[in-house]
Amino acid sequence: MFNSNPLSHAARAAAALALTLGLSLAPMEADAAGKIRIAFGDIASVEALGFLTAIERAKERGVDIDISYLKSEDIAAQAVVGGQADIGVGTPYALLQKVRAPIRIFYQMSTLRFYPVVNTEFYQDWKDLNGQEIAVHSRGSGTEAIMTLLARKNGIKYGQVSYVPGSEVRTGALLQGNVKATIVDSAGWRLLQAKAPGKFKVLPVEGIDASDEALYANTNFLDKEKESVAILTEELLNTFREINAKPEVVTEFRQKYNLAPDLPSEVVEDIGPYYKDAADVGLFPANGGGEDAAKDDFEFYTVAGQLQGEPASLKVADFWTLEPLTQALQKVGQR
Amino acid sequence: MSQLLARGTGMPVGPTPSFIRWIATRDHTLFWRLLSLALFCGAWEVAGQIPVNYALPPFSQTFMAFVGMLADGSLLSAYATTLQPLVIGIVISAVIGVAVGVLMGLRPLAEWLAAPVFIVMQAAPMAALIPLITFVYGIGMTSKVLAVTVLALPVIVLNCYKAVRNVNPSLVAMCRSFQGTRWQQVAKIVIPDASPLIFAGLRLGISAGFIGIVLAELLITPTGIGDLITYHRSVANYAEMYATIASIIVFSAVTVGGLQRLEVSLFRPEKREIA
Repeated sequence: MFNSNPLSHAARAAAALALTLGLSLAPMEADAAGKIRIAFGDIASVEALGFLTAIERAKERGVDIDISYLKSEDIAAQAVVGGQADIGVGTPYALLQKVRAPIRIFYQMSTLRFYPVVNTEFYQDWKDLNGQEIAVHSRGSGTEAIMTLLARKNGIKYGQVSYVPGSEVRTGALLQGNVKATIVDSAGWRLLQAKAPGKFKVLPVEGIDASDEALYANTNFLDKEKESVAILTEELLNTFREINAKPEVVTEFRQKYNLAPDLPSEVVEDIGPYYKDAADVGLFPANGGGEDAAKDDFEFYTVAGQLQGEPASLKVADFWTLEPLTQALQKVGQR
Repeated sequence: MSQLLARGTGMPVGPTPSFIRWIATRDHTLFWRLLSLALFCGAWEVAGQIPVNYALPPFSQTFMAFVGMLADGSLLSAYATTLQPLVIGIVISAVIGVAVGVLMGLRPLAEWLAAPVFIVMQAAPMAALIPLITFVYGIGMTSKVLAVTVLALPVIVLNCYKAVRNVNPSLVAMCRSFQGTRWQQVAKIVIPDASPLIFAGLRLGISAGFIGIVLAELLITPTGIGDLITYHRSVANYAEMYATIASIIVFSAVTVGGLQRLEVSLFRPEKREIA
């Protein structure tokens, strides 16, 4: 009786296969609705703690969020364009202008704050950098745009611009003396002050206000998941306002939500100073950007080479959708 | 062509005997190659026009971007930058690789010492070693040359080694019976008989070197071709990005193909008729 009929064998195997497939597909389908998949183009480190806190708080309010960490912002943008992620983190202005994908920015999370640093043995102010070599992150990067804008504002022109990716690498090169003028992030500047006090100085930076990290998503997704996006936006506003008012609260957030638990101790020590500096220089906007932020970005990213055309002729509606932010601000109040 | 159209209507009809004869009688390798290329470009164009993905430019746009980059000189200067570490790396790999490979084939001691290292190097995913190279050698030219060498060397060494090992034993025995010295045996029998495999190894080594240089320029510091790819990706010039990637693929294919032709015409008289 057993094993006598090969057909029934095949039928049973087919049934088992169908059941397995059905079982494995069913939960995937269920998960697809009401879930936010975020593509983050960096590893979770000190700078991301505010963002991660807001995500945890949105999760507490019932939003299912899945976050994946990718190698670079470009790849995160590709994931959003290709539909493998719903929300991306970065400033994809070039992508928005050139690719015409139905993607819009809806929240400005942080602004670009960098420190143009010179070795005081050689240079004292912007005028000294005329015709001299400087180092920036990469071609078309934010650091290059900042240095170009500041050269223009100070009426100078650099000699050679070399590309050294990674703020920590440029910081190291300054300390070793391989580079005499470059631009580093706040962690880099703190390290320079600690390792060689008085040897380096920051040149004045004025009138640069552009997004460093913004959240963007497919417009279909924003329409479909209005509620989840509203909750996330509100929590982002609340979290960053708390951080601006009391930067040391980030350490509590990290413990409470067990964020980035495997950070090495010297990095953990950097959390306090990083968020204090951030609050002092206004790294995190209190109102999530919006129209004014978009216009500042147009000017900056045109210089950076990401946007083409006259900044004044660019339309905010082609790059931003203001609805989620406006609604969230109505709920939590404007500051 | 007129035979392919039904008289008076101008409508195409099925293949006529003359068309079949045309196919059967001559060597149409070039025709089929061009047709396959045209089909590929056509499929790309269609995929780009649909579009399959917002970031996929059609073939026509990519080709225009390629022409634009040739005209403004950015592609040529990128190749000038990329070729330096590539050529240095490949020359080093070829010289050391052939020498070590032949030695390994001739001397058991060298074989025992070196074979495991190169077998492991060939089997290991060497791209994973590139971050390690930057730790030791920094971000300059040395690292890039090393990245090329690390990928190209094992292929060349192992091919040479196997080539020498597989030399026809009766030829070696003949040399001995003619009282040839050891040196004559190597120079007149072993190397010539092993040369087809040695050349195959060199070709494979060069294509591995191309992989190495592109990896290095994407993973170490963006210069040359790697800079063009990363820059155009970061400013969403996808047509330029695709054109750069396609150009390096074509360039490496043409280089390797050209090398094969050179080998046949210079060193392989017996194959000239067939090729």
